Amino acid sequence: MFDAAFLVRRQAPGPLLSGACYAGGLFVGLAISAILLVQAGVPADALVDEFLVATFLTSDGLSQTLTAALPLVLVGLASAVAMRVRFWNIGIEGQLWLGAVAATWVALGGIGPEPLRLPLMLVLGAVVGAAWIALPLWLKLKWGVNEVISTLLLGSIAFLLVQHLLFGVWRDPATNFPVTAAFPEASRFAATGWGQLHYGFLLVGAVTAALWYLLDYTRVGFYADAVGHNIKTARAAGLPVGATVTGLVLLSGALSGLAGVTIIAGTEHRLSQVVGNGYLFSAIVVAYVARAKPVWVLVVALALGAVFTAGNVLKVFYSISEGMIVLVQGTVLISILMAQFFSTYALSRPS
Amino acid sequence: MIDTAHQLGGRGTLFPGAPPALDLRGIDKAFDGKPALVDASFRLEWGEVHAIVGENGAGKSTLMNVAAGVYAADGGEQTIDGEARSPRSPMEATAAGLGMVHQHFRLVQSFTVSENILLSLGRDSKIRTPAQAAAAIAAKAAEVGLPVDPARVVADLSTAERQRVEIVRVLLLGARILILDEPTAVLSEDEAKMLLSFVRRLARQGHAVVLITHKFREVAGFCDRITIMRHGKTVMAGAPVADIDEGEVARLMVGEALAVSERPLSRPGAVNLSVSGLTQKPDRFGQGLNALNFELHAGEVLGIAGVGGNGQEELVACLTGLSRQDQGSIRLGGRDLSRASPHDRRKAGLRIIPSDRFEAGLVRELSIAENLALTQVAKGDFGGPFFLDRKGMRHAAAAAILSFDIRGASPERSAALLSGGNAQKVLLARELDAGMKVLVAHSPSRGLDMKATLFVRNAIKQAVEGGAACLLISEDLNEVLSLSHRVAVMNRGSIAGCRAIGDVTPEWIGALLAGHV
Repeated sequence: MFDAAFLVRRQAPGPLLSGACYAGGLFVGLAISAILLVQAGVPADALVDEFLVATFLTSDGLSQTLTAALPLVLVGLASAVAMRVRFWNIGIEGQLWLGAVAATWVALGGIGPEPLRLPLMLVLGAVVGAAWIALPLWLKLKWGVNEVISTLLLGSIAFLLVQHLLFGVWRDPATNFPVTAAFPEASRFAATGWGQLHYGFLLVGAVTAALWYLLDYTRVGFYADAVGHNIKTARAAGLPVGATVTGLVLLSGALSGLAGVTIIAGTEHRLSQVVGNGYLFSAIVVAYVARAKPVWVLVVALALGAVFTAGNVLKVFYSISEGMIVLVQGTVLISILMAQFFSTYALSRPS
Repeated sequence: MIDTAHQLGGRGTLFPGAPPALDLRGIDKAFDGKPALVDASFRLEWGEVHAIVGENGAGKSTLMNVAAGVYAADGGEQTIDGEARSPRSPMEATAAGLGMVHQHFRLVQSFTVSENILLSLGRDSKIRTPAQAAAAIAAKAAEVGLPVDPARVVADLSTAERQRVEIVRVLLLGARILILDEPTAVLSEDEAKMLLSFVRRLARQGHAVVLITHKFREVAGFCDRITIMRHGKTVMAGAPVADIDEGEVARLMVGEALAVSERPLSRPGAVNLSVSGLTQKPDRFGQGLNALNFELHAGEVLGIAGVGGNGQEELVACLTGLSRQDQGSIRLGGRDLSRASPHDRRKAGLRIIPSDRFEAGLVRELSIAENLALTQVAKGDFGGPFFLDRKGMRHAAAAAILSFDIRGASPERSAALLSGGNAQKVLLARELDAGMKVLVAHSPSRGLDMKATLFVRNAIKQAVEGGAACLLISEDLNEVLSLSHRVAVMNRGSIAGCRAIGDVTPEWIGALLAGHV
């Protein structure tokens, strides 16, 4: 039946077609998810309530969605800037962990004067995140070592270092749990007073705006696209290929590190074994669906934040299992990605 | 030991009275309206090794691809062993006993030899397991005297070994007519000799073999008869090798296109580009370069002719700065660029038109405006480091589209949508700018239609008349002859000879192309 069907690349998919494909994918994904959730015992009439109202239209829901989205934006951007130059940063969690470790060191040790404590944590976190990706970058540029493997494995090393610290010198003396003591006020983002939201949102907003300008309105984004799509042509045209790749990849590490600081200084206020879990996959999904464009990263990260919020609500009120939540998230994302595929390819049957 | 050639010369076939193994008559074939074969013919007898010679683009491979069912002919007749058959796919050709070994091998790198052959045997074969395939391969290899180890992984094999796998595969599939497309181009001298002796043995056992080649020496030493093609036509059909000499073959291959007159330099200028002792070791990707020396004057086109794969790609890569020569120097207008980056070379006035536009010239995914601005953004032509003037880029692109007559293009359109001719115009519009001193053009009209070809050549002519120097590297002899003031021939990574255009003769160029100095 499918013997004579071919995938034909569309020459220039218009915005209307792309838009329709995305919307269609989102709709199909949500519909399948709804069936799954109803099957699992959520009343059908409560679904709209939980998904839309609780996540965007109530004050609490919205603030929680925004808070959850902040680190997602940063890791999404981290994945996106590396993706632009075809560097697969699979070590985002590792850089995030190390950024968090550096910030924790500043916070617990009370390094520097108090007013500069938080800025110091942010800067150091970013620097250490960049340093953690510098090694795989160097290995790749020098010997062509595949960065997928090296960044992934360095991620595990970073997590083992975190465990080593949490079960060792940083163990909370009060409870003896493998978490650090709570950070002093000077090492936290101030709360806005609206739900859990903290002033880290200003930082994330500024970083997104800066990257949006950098990639869309300066030559950096232009170089990145040329290098990412055709590195040989970029070299032959005399573009600064090495500098572009190095700069954006280090930036990717720095953004991941910054995400780590944002999580512990914004919401957790301590380092634990769970603060960085799951961000790698979220980062890749966000960057991929957003096609590595900063503005779209912001939009997709907010949507994913909403999914997390809705998931928490379902967990608490309908005792839906964690696995079910992940299944729903996966269903929606797969549908969108498949729709994206069909906005680029058409199924054709020769007559 | 080598069988003496000419055994059959002038004496017909080993099997008098038998129908020809392969007979092609009046074959026409056009690609996108561009004729590749015009009334071409070819006749192959059982028991012979038959050479097809001709320069690049003469139609040798196309004709054989028609015979082997890779391409469908637009017109003409074909018989295999006396029966009228026009195979519509390589599988049908195989079923009729005709197999072709292509220049680029078609093997799965990560599979073993047995697995590869099992893969092509298909479901109708009695051989169903790798072990059975291994046994069959070993038996066939022993039968024809070609060493092949069925257990090895293809990725670990040398080029010569892979070629042997391809040949054994075709024979196992039942081919009694074997077509080899430039089999010795990728082999060392000794390997080539071994292959050619094997081919002769095979023919003596009653097979029929077609050898597509450029090299007269192989024809003279190992073939019975020769067919010469030029511009898609058969210009000499099946002449006994004993009756023909090298000079005549060269003349027929190259043709009267060579009737070129003197082309004096309009304004002979100073030396613009000087390359001396340029050397790069051969590797598995290519021939390398062997102490190349040449000088290029302002207002001059130096054409470098040669069969593809003789070091042209390496030369262009070294000049662009994409790869580094092991020895030798490159100087442009007195500046030493031997170790300069591509960026510095461009600044010094070097411009490149690569043979594959979308590999090292244009970025498919970027817009036409972006492609045109690619080399200028770094100079600050479109804003400083903190702002990229995309509007300026679009304006400049609109102007370039107008002045280079790039049809159907708008600045925002993706370069991937351009036709070959228009893509080349975009590249020319970018490279032929005011700062150009030396233009290196590699096969600039490859794959273009007549009109676009003319446009490209005129653009190069004008640039040179304006005082630039052009190094024209091309496998298309016509192109070299129609533009150059001097012609050099490249062979096995060396420059085999260089003459002023007025002194170029078919014998000279034919001999150098074939590698006989």
